[in-house]
Amino acid sequence: MAVGGWICLLAPLIGFLAIVLAGTRITRRQAGLISTGSVFVGFVGAVYAFIEALGRDPDDRVELTTAWTWFKAGDFEVGLELLIDPLSLVMMLIVTGIGGLIVAYSNGYMEGEDEERRYFAYMAFFVFAMLMLVQGGNLLLLLVGWGLVGLASYLLIGFYHDRRSAVEAAKKAFIVNALGDAIMALGFFLLIFHVNSLDFGVVFDAAESGELSDTVATLAALGLLGGAVAKSAQIPFHTWLPDAMEGPTPVSALIHAATMVTAGVYLICRTSPVFEAAPEVQHLAAILGLVTLLVAGVVALVQWDIKRVIAYSTMSQIGYMFVGAGIGAYGFAMFHLFTHAFFKALLFLTAGVIIHRLDGEQDIRKMGGLRGSMPYTHKTFLIGSLALVGIPIFAGFWSKDAILASALADGGALGWTLYVGGLLGALLTGMYTFRLYFIVFHGKPAEEPHGQDEHAHHGEGSRWMLAPVGVLAFGATFAGLLQIPGVWEPFEKWLEPVVEPLVTPTTAQEWGTSAIAVAIGSIGIFLAWRAFQADRELVPEGAVRRTLEHKLWFDEVYDAVFARPVQAVAVRLRDQVETPVVQGGLDEVADGTLDAAGFAARAQSGLLRTYALAITVAVSILALVFIVVR
Amino acid sequence: MLGPDVPWYLVISAILFAIGISGVLLRRSPLIVLLSLEIMLNAANLAFVGFSRAFGELDGQIFALAVMAVAASEVCVGLGLIVAMARRNLALDVDRFTELRG
Amino acid sequence: MGNVLVWVIWLAAAAACIGTGLRVVTASNPFSSALSLIGNLASLAVLYLLASGEFVAVAQVLVYAGAVMVMFLFVIAYLGGRADAPWAGGTRLIQTASVIAAASLLAVTLVAILLDAGDRLSDEADIDRAFGTPSEIGRLFLTDHLLAFEITSIVLLVAAVGGVVLGMRSAAEDDAEVDAGEAVR
Repeated sequence: MAVGGWICLLAPLIGFLAIVLAGTRITRRQAGLISTGSVFVGFVGAVYAFIEALGRDPDDRVELTTAWTWFKAGDFEVGLELLIDPLSLVMMLIVTGIGGLIVAYSNGYMEGEDEERRYFAYMAFFVFAMLMLVQGGNLLLLLVGWGLVGLASYLLIGFYHDRRSAVEAAKKAFIVNALGDAIMALGFFLLIFHVNSLDFGVVFDAAESGELSDTVATLAALGLLGGAVAKSAQIPFHTWLPDAMEGPTPVSALIHAATMVTAGVYLICRTSPVFEAAPEVQHLAAILGLVTLLVAGVVALVQWDIKRVIAYSTMSQIGYMFVGAGIGAYGFAMFHLFTHAFFKALLFLTAGVIIHRLDGEQDIRKMGGLRGSMPYTHKTFLIGSLALVGIPIFAGFWSKDAILASALADGGALGWTLYVGGLLGALLTGMYTFRLYFIVFHGKPAEEPHGQDEHAHHGEGSRWMLAPVGVLAFGATFAGLLQIPGVWEPFEKWLEPVVEPLVTPTTAQEWGTSAIAVAIGSIGIFLAWRAFQADRELVPEGAVRRTLEHKLWFDEVYDAVFARPVQAVAVRLRDQVETPVVQGGLDEVADGTLDAAGFAARAQSGLLRTYALAITVAVSILALVFIVVR
Repeated sequence: MLGPDVPWYLVISAILFAIGISGVLLRRSPLIVLLSLEIMLNAANLAFVGFSRAFGELDGQIFALAVMAVAASEVCVGLGLIVAMARRNLALDVDRFTELRG
Repeated sequence: MGNVLVWVIWLAAAAACIGTGLRVVTASNPFSSALSLIGNLASLAVLYLLASGEFVAVAQVLVYAGAVMVMFLFVIAYLGGRADAPWAGGTRLIQTASVIAAASLLAVTLVAILLDAGDRLSDEADIDRAFGTPSEIGRLFLTDHLLAFEITSIVLLVAAVGGVVLGMRSAAEDDAEVDAGEAVR
């Protein structure tokens, strides 16, 4: 398993380095192929490790492999070690598998772009960073991967660097993520201070055995939660995700749907012992997930940009995952992560096909009736939408309802709140998803789609784009069948040895919830259809709509409370401290040095004789010193 | 040991060295400077041989031989420089070369 | 009796050493300086012999006096032996400073020698007949000091190359020579 793990981790890194070092010596197409190939090699490595793990006893599937000891500071020792266990294997397969498909898709989507090589290098780098995150054998390596994916996200969001909006969005993403990272780092410091290690084993043992006091456990868990919330774009650190749609569509698919944003969920599942030692924080995670789920669902109802709708949908679905992790249904949270990766990537990539076909148009008001002109895309998008809403047999049906059933099984005030809220979320999901579907694919075309003629004989898109879409559609249809309640539950069993769930719903609860959820989802679809038929919006004009359009005023509030004051302070510091004192001081030192140098330069007479004399004098003085001292 | 003790050799070496240094510092023609440099090197050689005799180790003499070889190479290059200077009709005067000024 | 003879020879060689040394530094004719240096080298060779450094003495005469000094004489002959007064170089200040520097260095060294002459510097090791013979030196060169040996040969090679490079005529010089030759014709 270790071999597979190392291959998986290092292949994308090698791909990245190859593209960077080759520079302009390789063509753009070659860079794309290297990138795609390296990620697929990683996938092969992950599959290899997976197969080997299957062959072992369920209790024997954990392997920790160390490359070397990275650094030591007193008693604190950190090694470059990878942890290959069922949980990390799931993530590895998702990241390299879906990542590979998306990078392959990019070969078609990004063709003709100016700086393709940079793009493909960044994509390979991202995959490597994400793998480091999920394979890290201790919290420090996880943090390294965590930071690196943030960097990759920044680089890729700001890929179109001549667009001011893209650069701003990249900065926003990075800053919010950095805030989360800082909070997480504080949590880590606390853990180091009390446990003197960042090894998973040591930390988790301490958490489980009650070695950590309540306060410490709570604070550490809060630290971890802070990082998870920022990375996964949950409220209150969610403001960066919609703006992140400035990046190329495959980037949105890979980073902001399938993998990076799900890292928060992975973190909570991985560090579950710490959270279980601080139950209030764990419940807080669930509550934040619920709030995000609802807020994002509502805001999605009024968006006109196709990618933004899908982005808010992502936020909402991750809310479900947080709910799952928050109540301890780790297996189901990861299962939803798994299915979500398929259908969300599918939705983004098909949106990308549409955008590509319409020469960059993203406003759905300018689309319409694409059912006729893009049949393949239509079918795949429909599959994705059905999966998202949770219609059987598509993937989302099995995973989302499992989480809701767990909430039901948990019971109590929290459980029931989450259950009802989750069902409400299902309604919203149906509404916004199919609003999008109807407007884009049904009705009559808004106006002449641009470049209709040239594209006509190229079909809907290049093979590079359509093939991965097809694979994902297949996955979105059938991936959910890995978990049929009461009948066949391999996914749950696979993860059980590593992350034991705190609640397990009965089969009756699961099927009952599913029935209710499907009904509610269908009502949502029906409402969307009705609104579309009547050619009106689901949310009428008014104060409510305005609030939703401004995303509940989060950006404005943050700006006023945080950004403006800090800027004001910075300006004052610059004018009153930096310029006169620091800069002035440095200028004085520079002038003084020049003067002194001018004075000293007079000793350079250029005469050989004087130099020789100086040497002689020095030697005699030295000799004197030696004699006196000895 | 027959003859004077080692310190005597060292005294001669010191005197020769001082003579060499004054030659380097006081003369103008690069040829004479080079010759004075040779005197200095020889003074060092004498000290080496003397110490070698005092401690009974041959290392001093070995080093003296190495110094001789290096001195030969240095003279070769130095003379080459002087000849090149003369060929370009530059005055053979150490005080005239002030390009290191500054 | 033997000891007295050795002392006499030693004193004569030492005097010759210092005398020729002074002449090298003070002669105005470079030829005289060079010839005095040859004398210096010869007297040093005698001193080496008295200190049981036979091989070094012979090497000194052969290499130094024989080859290096001949080279020197060649160059002086080629350059025409331009005269150069002893006290002509540098300002008065520098000249006095130089003399003082050299003298103080000498004083310091002498003091050091004299101070220690009683203790360590009088140690005389017992040596056997093979001390200073070529076979011993050769053995050391090829065993303990092999690296020095090899590096020295590299240094010589580099110097030879350097000498050739410095001696090469540049194109401009060739043109100047040709022009000068034509002008004469």
